[in-house]
Amino acid sequence: MPDWRELVSKGLSGLKLGAGEKEEVHAELAAHLEETYKALRARGLPEQAAIQQTLAQVADWQDLRRKIQIARTVKENIMNDRVRQLWLPGLLTFALSMGLLELVQKFGPRPMALDLDKGTPMVMFYTSWLLTLPLAGAIGALLSKRAGGSPRILAISSVFPVLPFGVVFLIAIPAGLLMSHTLAHHIVATAFLTMMFGWVLVPGVALFSGGLLVQLLSRRSNSLDVTMN
Amino acid sequence: MIGTGIKRGTAELAILSVLEEGPLHGYEMARRIEEQTKGALRFTLAALYPMLYRMEQRGWIRGAWETSQSGRRKRCYRLTPAGKKKLSPLRKEWAELFGALKRLTKVAHA
Repeated sequence: MPDWRELVSKGLSGLKLGAGEKEEVHAELAAHLEETYKALRARGLPEQAAIQQTLAQVADWQDLRRKIQIARTVKENIMNDRVRQLWLPGLLTFALSMGLLELVQKFGPRPMALDLDKGTPMVMFYTSWLLTLPLAGAIGALLSKRAGGSPRILAISSVFPVLPFGVVFLIAIPAGLLMSHTLAHHIVATAFLTMMFGWVLVPGVALFSGGLLVQLLSRRSNSLDVTMN
Repeated sequence: MIGTGIKRGTAELAILSVLEEGPLHGYEMARRIEEQTKGALRFTLAALYPMLYRMEQRGWIRGAWETSQSGRRKRCYRLTPAGKKKLSPLRKEWAELFGALKRLTKVAHA
């Protein structure tokens, strides 16, 4: 029986890995060849035929060395799926929607004011901003879809810009209530509802509608989203 | 000739599926895949290990040296939580692709 370890070591000579890692690869591949050979012998193949069939496992050692080199050294997936499908589209959607808000505040028409209760914070409705949000939501969903995101991730990516506001209001306002006894509870409750309505619910619906449109269109086109890389 | 992308996709699905049943070393993995697909899918050493190493880099599988009862050391691979998560959408994608091809070939023969 050939020295499989020696054979692998020779075949893969020039493999640029750390000494320990290279040894591991050699040992693993040699064990595979040895098992293949033993299985062939156990099936009754003569020694020479078994060796030949075992060696046929690798048609081109140089090609194998190159492939192993790439597979073990190239970090082809620096960004994991969660980053590509959720965080990146979400943050881009956030940046886009905030950029649009900045533009509308500087150059757009005056906002509509919503005052639910006198003495509580008002919400300024930037109608022209709200009209652009479906586009931002659609871009978020599209980027997520291109990265292979599921419908749930697509939806989260599209409404991502309002999530920080939702979290802040859900934490800050109850915390304010707990920490300050001087605040009138009805004012805080109204402020909470106003803020949630103006900064989370309405923009969220606008963003979601854009994301939903992307989902519906992609279903209608019935495209197969199989990665062919 | 089947394209590299399709071959790699089917190979990844085969490896993840067979590892779902439990941890395996490379030779046993290749043997199981061949057996379970009745010889339709065969992995040579040259095809299997670059694929395993790539999947390990992606974090879908994890290899660790284990010593068998006979005292032989083997590198066993198991699915990681990321690999388990990958399997379900991958299965769905391939079922859709094969469904589409089936429909297409039926139409072509009608």
